[in-house]
Amino acid sequence: MLWDNLNYSPVYRMDFRLIRNFSIIAHIDHGKSTLADRLLEFTGAVSQRDMMAQVLDTMDLERERGITIKAHAVRLNYKADDGNVYELNLIDTPGHVDFTYEVSRSLQACEGALLVVDASQGVEAQTLANTYLALSHDLEIIPVINKIDLPSAEPERIREQIEQVIGLDASDAIMASAKNGVGIKETLEAIVKRVPAPKGDPDAPLRALIFDSWFDPYRGVIILTRVVDGALRKGQKIRLWSNGKAYEVEGLGFQSPKPVPCDELTAGEAGFVFANIKTISDAQVGDTIMDDSEPASEPLPGFQEIKPMVFAGLYPVESHEHGLLRDAIEKLRLNDSAFSFEPENSMALGFGFRCGFLGLLHLEIVQERLEREFQIDLITTAPGVRYRVTTTGGEVIEVDNPQKFPDPSSIEQVEEPIIDATVISREEYLGEILKLLEEKRGVQKKFEYIGSGRVLLLYELPLNEIVMDFYDRLKSASRGYASLDYHLSGHRISPMVKLDVLVAGEPVDALSMIVHRDFAYERGKALIERLRKLIPRQMFEVALQAAIGAKIIARENIPAMRKNVLAKCYGGDISRKRKLLEKQKEGKRRMKRVGRVDIPQEAFLAVLKVGSSGE
Amino acid sequence: MAGVYLSYPFCAQKCTFCNFASGVWPDAMKQRYERMLAREIEQHEWNWLPETVYWGGGTPSLMRPEALEGAMRVIPADHIREATIECAPGSVTAERAQAWRAAGINRVSLGVQSFVEAEARRTGRKHSAEVVQRELSVLADAGIDNVNIDLIAGLPGQTFDSWRASLGWVERLAPPHVSIYMFEIDEDSRLGQEALLGGTRYGADVLPPDDAVAGFYEYAVERLRVLGLPRYEISNFARSGFESVHNLKYWNLEPYIGFGVDAHSFDGSLRWSNVDSPEDYITRLERGASPRADESCSDLEEEHFFVGLRLAAGIEPSAREWSRFKEPIDRSLASGLLVRDAERLRLTDRGFLLSNEVFQEFVHAPAI
Repeated sequence: MLWDNLNYSPVYRMDFRLIRNFSIIAHIDHGKSTLADRLLEFTGAVSQRDMMAQVLDTMDLERERGITIKAHAVRLNYKADDGNVYELNLIDTPGHVDFTYEVSRSLQACEGALLVVDASQGVEAQTLANTYLALSHDLEIIPVINKIDLPSAEPERIREQIEQVIGLDASDAIMASAKNGVGIKETLEAIVKRVPAPKGDPDAPLRALIFDSWFDPYRGVIILTRVVDGALRKGQKIRLWSNGKAYEVEGLGFQSPKPVPCDELTAGEAGFVFANIKTISDAQVGDTIMDDSEPASEPLPGFQEIKPMVFAGLYPVESHEHGLLRDAIEKLRLNDSAFSFEPENSMALGFGFRCGFLGLLHLEIVQERLEREFQIDLITTAPGVRYRVTTTGGEVIEVDNPQKFPDPSSIEQVEEPIIDATVISREEYLGEILKLLEEKRGVQKKFEYIGSGRVLLLYELPLNEIVMDFYDRLKSASRGYASLDYHLSGHRISPMVKLDVLVAGEPVDALSMIVHRDFAYERGKALIERLRKLIPRQMFEVALQAAIGAKIIARENIPAMRKNVLAKCYGGDISRKRKLLEKQKEGKRRMKRVGRVDIPQEAFLAVLKVGSSGE
Repeated sequence: MAGVYLSYPFCAQKCTFCNFASGVWPDAMKQRYERMLAREIEQHEWNWLPETVYWGGGTPSLMRPEALEGAMRVIPADHIREATIECAPGSVTAERAQAWRAAGINRVSLGVQSFVEAEARRTGRKHSAEVVQRELSVLADAGIDNVNIDLIAGLPGQTFDSWRASLGWVERLAPPHVSIYMFEIDEDSRLGQEALLGGTRYGADVLPPDDAVAGFYEYAVERLRVLGLPRYEISNFARSGFESVHNLKYWNLEPYIGFGVDAHSFDGSLRWSNVDSPEDYITRLERGASPRADESCSDLEEEHFFVGLRLAAGIEPSAREWSRFKEPIDRSLASGLLVRDAERLRLTDRGFLLSNEVFQEFVHAPAI
């Protein structure tokens, strides 16, 4: 982002009674980005000429997937029907379950939220979870029923559903079609009339909430913040509450949506600030910015250290790219303090990194950014969770890597992380979904018909089962109509065992996984069968075995290769022969050799797909 | 001594298994091609006198005999020992055979592929075993009895029984030379492409499995040996003295010059090829430009192994090669795919079927 050569905004202090901070809560594809685009357009923040879809989602990944990964705070100036010009701060947040904590911080920065619901799809689990999150922060919720122009739209039914499922008064819900610009002015008026002006004391000692941050190579860490009390000024000495570190504010401003520098952000306002902070982990989401000389006595509530929940090994396909991968991971981490990494060494895959993520989407995002932005081919091992293992010696250790799972004889007990999962789906898919939840060791806690043929399920599930292949399975069980939300609820003692895979008698560490004892046989068998299809025939017969400790529980053989021969003469076309041989050789080189066996990369992902009864 | 390769890329129809730069084109184009082919030959400066001529395709047996004769006339003929033309069964007539003989052709390679009619028809061929039989006698009458028969192992619907039936015909017709090609599933042929996509056209869904094809090949090797046609190269079998002089040049890394579309040449150190589109080839020559598409300097030591080892007699590596390829040689000997006889290396029986595994050892993996 360019921070220079920008138009300076006039210096004035906003009357905070004319400030409205709001967020948009929506399920994916329900129209959040389109609505945001229209609000920007209507208020003139973006001219028609510069308008492009999904203005705020600047990352390629965000545009391609139609998701928001990073938060934004965009200032809109709106002249309302009452004659006043309001400063509206749209605080856009990621909506995915992986980023619940970030969402909660963004919501904390607002006084209101637009709840956008698709007029034909209705309320989804994600929306529900985020709406409850917003209500718990006392936000004023304005329901917006979007896409009313679609032939399948049933706005009245959806209005009832919002009332019934969420318990909100939806009598004055806004009927909108963001695509066609319908309901935009009504939405802006509702924000002005119904969202409360920020409370907070401009004269009290500074307290500002960090709700996102990223790294800029020229400015250091850029913080998105909402000033709650006091004011942030250029040149001010600030202190971060969690680590006590002090910095001098070098610049501040707001996005509109391009960055506009200003001299001051006062109580009630949102914007960005940079203060020569070198590492992103120093500017943690949820932390409080204070004045260094006159620190407030209390930080803002709700700060948590973010802990990764899902773990996987990342390895370069080309082992000589290990150094490149390290640099790439370190660079990426400059912008994403939520993921952790430490060096890991696998017999099969060589040197790599054990990385921790907030969830599967987060994993995918990191993986894709590494491949895309740094051009590194990666092998990602099957994701797993962190277990709490008590050894017979009474020691408690945390294990997030199957390779480090202790020998069964020295394990007293294993506790696995448990989540509360909310699933909303159409009734007709209920049978399949219940079957899936049972198979995934789920315990039903709530079962509710929420009207219009929809069902809400609350289940207690082991997180480990979610990271295997749950999303894909849920999607296919419900033809894509089920939505899922979850949060960590605790730990449970479970008989977990480590399942090893032996290829030609050699254990392949990167294929090991931790599974529930009762599923070990079935998963081991499924995994071996899948590997038999993925590992190409070698020059000799290869035995594939699944084992728990020394006990072999499943076995398959890959027969020896019978032929690999190029017979045609091609009128002396030697270069064609050479090319083919080179291609075959290159293919082999991209495989990982374990003992005498060449294993293709896909085999390492096979672990992910087992346990699917559909196989 | 060197060879001449001549390409005639036109066919009556494109066979499903074919992965050559060949196809069906209008007659006007064929005539322009014939003229430009003759021109390319005329413009060549002969630094050596050819020993062999090989007409490949396409289907050169469909070429107008006078055009073929015209092209032959501009090739220095004094030292030619062997001149082969590839023929599609059904295209051999007494007139043509006599014209070929008159033009200097003394060997015919018949692309039979299968003697089982249903198998042949599925690939786009219309001949029967009887047609092949009749054409062989037509050729013999014209004085051409040095004949090769091509068979493909691994055609759709092929079974061990049908394969045995095809070899039964080989026994009955007793040609002095047979080639056995195993069908390659790749995107270069329609059938291969269909198989890769998992489709059913061209019988792609009834291709015999790899193991069966390996079995067909092994059966053929044994049966032809008993018939007095030992294997002298991975896919070539001949009565003693009837080995293809021309094709041996490829495997012995002797020079050859190619004329026509997609023709390949080798002068002992450089390899080059002509463009592979007939239109492109014709227009280039018509405006006086070179038809060459690319040129590369070959690594002769690598080629000595991955080309030379195709021969049953194997190769005699130089001292330099023994030391340069010590590791891959040792690995292949250890895996039982290569065997060493004094100073020679050759493929074992198992090594023939897994020859690419051996050859890969002797090429550089390309930089990515």
